[in-house]
Amino acid sequence: MSTTTQDPQGGPQKPLPWHWAAVAWLEQRINLTEIFSILTSFGIVYTPVDTRRPLREAMAEIGATPLVSYARWPQVLGLLTALLFALEAVTGVLLAFYYHPTGEGAYASTEGIVRDIPLGWFIHQMHDWGAYLLIAVVVLRVVRMFWHRLYLAPREVLWVSAVMLMWVVLQLDFTGRLLPYDVTSYWSAMRGLEIVCSQPVVGPFISFVLGGHVITENVLLRSYVLHVVVLPLLYLIGIYVTFGTMRRIGLSVPAEGGDPANATTWRKHTLDFVIFQLLLFAGLVTLATLLPFRFHGPADPYSTPPGTHPAWYLLSAYTIVQYLPGPGWIAGLLLLLAGLSVPIVPLWSARNPQRLSDTRLRQGAIALFAVWCVLTLVGAFVVRK
Amino acid sequence: MSARAGFARMLALAAALALSAEAARAAATAPVPITGSRVGRIVTPTAGRCGVCHPTERVALESSPHAREDVRCTSCHGGDDTTTDEKRAHGGDFTGKVDRGTVPRMCARCHADEKRMRPYDLPVDQYALYQQSRHGQLLAKGDRQVAVCSDCHGAHDILAVADPASRVYPTNIPRTCGRCHGDTTLVRQRHIKNAYADYLTSVHAHQLFDLGNMRAPTCVSCHGVHGATPPDVADITKVCGRCHTTERRYFIAGPHAAKMAENNVPACIACHGNHAVEASVVTRLASNCEKCHEKGDPQVALGARMLDEYKTAQTEIDKAEKLIAEADAVPMQTEDYHARVEEARTYLREAMTAAHTVQPEVVASFTLRARSVGEEIQDELTHKFANARMSKLGLVVFWFYVLVTLGILRRYRNRRPRA
Repeated sequence: MSTTTQDPQGGPQKPLPWHWAAVAWLEQRINLTEIFSILTSFGIVYTPVDTRRPLREAMAEIGATPLVSYARWPQVLGLLTALLFALEAVTGVLLAFYYHPTGEGAYASTEGIVRDIPLGWFIHQMHDWGAYLLIAVVVLRVVRMFWHRLYLAPREVLWVSAVMLMWVVLQLDFTGRLLPYDVTSYWSAMRGLEIVCSQPVVGPFISFVLGGHVITENVLLRSYVLHVVVLPLLYLIGIYVTFGTMRRIGLSVPAEGGDPANATTWRKHTLDFVIFQLLLFAGLVTLATLLPFRFHGPADPYSTPPGTHPAWYLLSAYTIVQYLPGPGWIAGLLLLLAGLSVPIVPLWSARNPQRLSDTRLRQGAIALFAVWCVLTLVGAFVVRK
Repeated sequence: MSARAGFARMLALAAALALSAEAARAAATAPVPITGSRVGRIVTPTAGRCGVCHPTERVALESSPHAREDVRCTSCHGGDDTTTDEKRAHGGDFTGKVDRGTVPRMCARCHADEKRMRPYDLPVDQYALYQQSRHGQLLAKGDRQVAVCSDCHGAHDILAVADPASRVYPTNIPRTCGRCHGDTTLVRQRHIKNAYADYLTSVHAHQLFDLGNMRAPTCVSCHGVHGATPPDVADITKVCGRCHTTERRYFIAGPHAAKMAENNVPACIACHGNHAVEASVVTRLASNCEKCHEKGDPQVALGARMLDEYKTAQTEIDKAEKLIAEADAVPMQTEDYHARVEEARTYLREAMTAAHTVQPEVVASFTLRARSVGEEIQDELTHKFANARMSKLGLVVFWFYVLVTLGILRRYRNRRPRA
């Protein structure tokens, strides 16, 4: 390929601008279009990319193709799962530069990050608030997919991957919550572990993976490894499955292709994407600055502070484990069955509508949600004796 | 058979021979017990044959360091320990059970002998001190109830002072003295105080028994050991001042010392009590005055003023500490403030000590310092919090740039693409 281009009218050759010249130089050595096509796996490019053509031509083609109005508000939750994860990854890597996952070092290094390192507080608070938003997003996404019946064929894989993403995010939160190793995080993780370990089969397995029934330095280290390596990899797989499925089966509420009012272009779509990202970032910065999370002193395994609770999403389970009469494993089995029924029951109902009608399913879900809310409130406000 | 197996067998044989030789040598050098009696095993070097008939006393004596230093039954009781024939054993200089009145003199035969006690680095003045003590004086007058050596140290099973099982180990001393001074029948008969019961309620006993503070005073710390006697009224500040030096210094500097001595008021005891001494309580600054002074007296108002000074300073320090806790939750750098609050607390503690002068201006010289440190910390932290709040105004600038960028992006988005 030459570094000049032919004028369409056959006039004199015009030299390429320097950046396209650099692209052309690289393109003789590596297939840039193939690398570019990776973006299609992460929801940034929706049009198929012809990897045999040079990057410039491929991008020109993408830019020129009119798109139906992709990724508008109904799809924003799916996009957010990817965006917030990217934010968590970047801030998480920065935090990991200074964090020590040891019993003595954990609290001291977290305190050092927030107090002594320039903008450390900002990175830390962004990571915290990002995590809160991410949980809200994945949970809302599952709720939306359930309510809009997006688990019906051919979207079963999407539904399962959404539930799996939610599960992974909750695990990320559970392990990440322990890492500052301050009084609150230590004891809420301890309460959480009690609940998790009460489940039959799964409980012993998780406590085996984490390295014990109580929080120790080893559990801290394993939580750290799970939090920074294992669970993010699972999450990435979930995102890949989500977008891969989406490219094959299309968006949930596709705009009618014939309506020119909904037509857009890749350029507009990308700019929308950037605008949305900027707004998200600005919102997070505002939250991190105005409502920062506080620290409550290093963890002390020998004294339980009064009124320790597990993380909010475990409060209802906490209530069940606390107050359900009979042996502890009954409560654990109940929790396990409830957890497993979330992805399975809607799929089962879709195949057997005569056994469980859609209306019944929704009524049941609303009732279950109401019970969950009540149990959460009880867990939050009734102090353990 | 291989050569190696043969060698191993030879080694085993050699080892067995060596072991049997060792056993034979050990048997030859073992001390030969006193034999020739059917009860040979209870005939021991210390007790001789006394232990045959007096096994309890033999066991008690052998638990004592005396037994290792060649103090035998016959050393105190006389008689002959080489026979079990009662006539011969209890003959000669045999004294039988040692008479209470002669116990101190008997112990002093060795314990007042410098040449004998020198190798053990033991003092030899116990007998002289005992004769001066209240116990010794009463014993000399023929009072048979007072304590003699064996009442505190035990008779046969005497242990070293440093032995925690000893009756005279610091933590055991109150109980040892309390055997008489806490005996309700005895104290009623003799019209003395139940000092043991009082002591158990004191802050000194709390320190000693509950907190394991081995430097906390026991009975002997104030009354003396062998020369035990109640201190004179005039000497009370000296006795208490041995530990509470600063309190004594302030007390002597104030007007109380001279006036109390004049009126024969027991100085420290007048406010704090003696055996049942209480922990220091701030409110006593105001409430104690009425023990001696009339309610409306100007002196009573002095106490209230000191308490007021103290409480004002304490409030400021508490406020400072609350702010530090808030700063720690952020977290901010607060190590310096922790040190300074400790400094303020030290001033406050000194103010309590200075209250022994009963002069509010002396107390105020410390409470004012404590207050000013507390207020400084509050000022600095309030300033830092205000700065942190102000820096949040940076958000306005941030949002300005965000909105400008959004405007630009939106314009760029809606621009018609070039043909």
